[in-house]
Amino acid sequence: MQRWVGHADLDAFYASVEQRDSPAYRDLPVVVGALPGHRGVVAAASYQARAFGIHSAMPIAEAYRRCPNAVYLRPDMGKYLRVSRQIFQILQTITPVLEPVSVDEAYLDLTGLERLIGPPEMIGSEIKRRILQETGLTVSVGIGPNRLIAKLASEHNKPDGLTVVLPEQVQQFLTPMPLANLRGLGRQTQKIFTRLGIRTVAQLRAAPLQILEQQLGRKAAANFYNQALGIASAEVKPGRGRKSISKETTFETDIHGHDSLRHALRELAAGVAAQARREQLAGAVVTLKIRFAGFETHTRRHRLPSPTHDERVILREAWTLFNQGNLPCKPVRLIGVGISDWQQVQAEPVQADLFDQPQRRKSNERLLATIDRAEARFGKGILQLGCAPKRDKRKHA
Amino acid sequence: MKIITTKAAILDPLQQVGGVVERRQTLPILANLLLNLRSKSLLITATDLEVEMKTSTQVEANGELDITLPARKLIDICRALPDEAVININIEGERVTIVSGPSRFTLGTLPAKDYPVIEPITSSHSFSVPENRLKALIEKTYFAMAQQDVRYYLNGLLLEIKEGIIRTVATDGHRLATSESDCQIDNSLELQVIIPRKAILELSKLLEDTKDSVLVEVSTNHIRFNIRSTIFTSKLIDGKFPDYQRVIPTNSDKTVIANRETLRNALQRTSILSNEKYRGICFKFTKNSLELLAHNPEQEEAKEELQIEYQGDDLTIGFNVSYLIEVLNVLETKEIKLMLSDSNSSCLIEDEKTSNSRYVIMPMRL
Repeated sequence: MQRWVGHADLDAFYASVEQRDSPAYRDLPVVVGALPGHRGVVAAASYQARAFGIHSAMPIAEAYRRCPNAVYLRPDMGKYLRVSRQIFQILQTITPVLEPVSVDEAYLDLTGLERLIGPPEMIGSEIKRRILQETGLTVSVGIGPNRLIAKLASEHNKPDGLTVVLPEQVQQFLTPMPLANLRGLGRQTQKIFTRLGIRTVAQLRAAPLQILEQQLGRKAAANFYNQALGIASAEVKPGRGRKSISKETTFETDIHGHDSLRHALRELAAGVAAQARREQLAGAVVTLKIRFAGFETHTRRHRLPSPTHDERVILREAWTLFNQGNLPCKPVRLIGVGISDWQQVQAEPVQADLFDQPQRRKSNERLLATIDRAEARFGKGILQLGCAPKRDKRKHA
Repeated sequence: MKIITTKAAILDPLQQVGGVVERRQTLPILANLLLNLRSKSLLITATDLEVEMKTSTQVEANGELDITLPARKLIDICRALPDEAVININIEGERVTIVSGPSRFTLGTLPAKDYPVIEPITSSHSFSVPENRLKALIEKTYFAMAQQDVRYYLNGLLLEIKEGIIRTVATDGHRLATSESDCQIDNSLELQVIIPRKAILELSKLLEDTKDSVLVEVSTNHIRFNIRSTIFTSKLIDGKFPDYQRVIPTNSDKTVIANRETLRNALQRTSILSNEKYRGICFKFTKNSLELLAHNPEQEEAKEELQIEYQGDDLTIGFNVSYLIEVLNVLETKEIKLMLSDSNSSCLIEDEKTSNSRYVIMPMRL
């Protein structure tokens, strides 16, 4: 049976949601991210903003220089996540074999759906129609015989595009593409290709494999060569999803004081924990990320005996990592915290703790559930755990 | 200046203090040993800023001298020399040459005045305890200390003196070990200090089975043990140890008497097929019989059955087998006593006769 993989990618997702919700912004350049005059980057730019050369990950100051008149908005992650969940639910009704890549992007296994819905074009139109009808958002869909072609096809005709590449069209589809479209092409590899004078997929295909292997190493050469020939995996792994939840914040001015850092960490930990609980995940590894003045970045991680989605545990671990991680004593520019390595809380043997009363654990769970309900009803961050100032005094002998 | 000694005289003291030197140091000088020569006595000091050990040995030399030498290299050199070797240490300015027969080693030094030493402590309390008693108190409990736990106060051993009794307590939150001894200490002395894990491990190597008296001095931040010719000082962990009395079960209604050796052997065999990560074993107590069950993720299975003394209701409970084996290793009597109540409550283990050492293990939900 012919394998079909679909790739659905929402167009300028955060910006589109904002434009949908505020009709006044609809034809204006909208930039979601940090606000001008502050530190930070662009998270999403509407197509009107992209016309000015603004793209995501661009420093906000640069975006402002290019288009001072754009609408600048802070992201409302709660809202985007709600929309994202709605979209994934729609996609679930098309095919249960669905691999989310991020909040606004997923691979779908469409193999065998021809008999149910129709030819690939019709499946693509159906996805687009349903999402537009139920959420008012446009999505670009690419369909091809494997993941690579599906992804390239969805990028091919953005926004609101639908591109189907039949197996016999793959070579023709790839030939004119610039090399930069291929996956896993970093700055160093790009340099090597430039030196070899290879700029397009067609040129790569014509290059002798032996020279590529000499320059890139066997594995990388084979990878790019296969991509140039349109050979890639068609496997869609539904379970894959996210591997970690993390949040970070860049300070307006570099931070010296431990109190402000701990305060920032507390808020980040609360955000991470709340999201983990929403997604019914519990992670056994806590990671602390810290960037000092001068962009010197460090990460420290610690594995817990049992997985957690409790902000107090995350904060306690992150704070210990901060204090005992042999980190330099410098002003802090950015701090972040995350959890990963999901584990089922119930499935594995659980060693009981001498100092952990079962009643206390139950009341703990009730407390966290209450916070979640308050958030769901009144908005994010409405209820936060306070701090016991005594804990700050911890000195390690 | 010249110091003359022998391998036989210097290797033991060097190795004794050498354990304190960390493999990787935060300060370069912490890789060195401090040597102080006063008339014919050579005082050797090692520190990692948390723990400090000083010991002395007699040498042939004249005058006074303070130098530091790289610990690892000095110990390795002395150890590698022939057993009957005579060692000459020649000091000329910044260079130190060690000469023994045809062998010659030139070592670098760092200034002795930069060597961090813990100031002589102004002890607020002091007491004496026979060396063998102190050794036993540590050996019966220290395996239960936590290791790099965020509850930093668990990464050490609690030393408590109350009503003339000296007591040690260690716990990692999953199990607890406590041991006590009546050492005729002044009844009015009351103290509770937490000694860091590393200090306890070094101390356990240092202590021998003698009846010599060990003078212990305690200040606000430090504890010092004077053991024969060695002075061992450690920082204390600044924290509050949890209320250990509260977690020792008092209302267990089920008592099991088992042969220590038989149970230990059965556990060791069963543990081979337990999950390597969790080490969980299922215990099924029925009248005068105990069945042990283990299986691993590969679906392999181990089963043992042994005779015990037990009259209570049937009980099934899970434990980390390592915790039990460690307890059985330090108990000494032929028979041991387990006290249980239900599958969610902790188990108390004691010698069959005395309750000088008590062990509490929390169950595991399998």
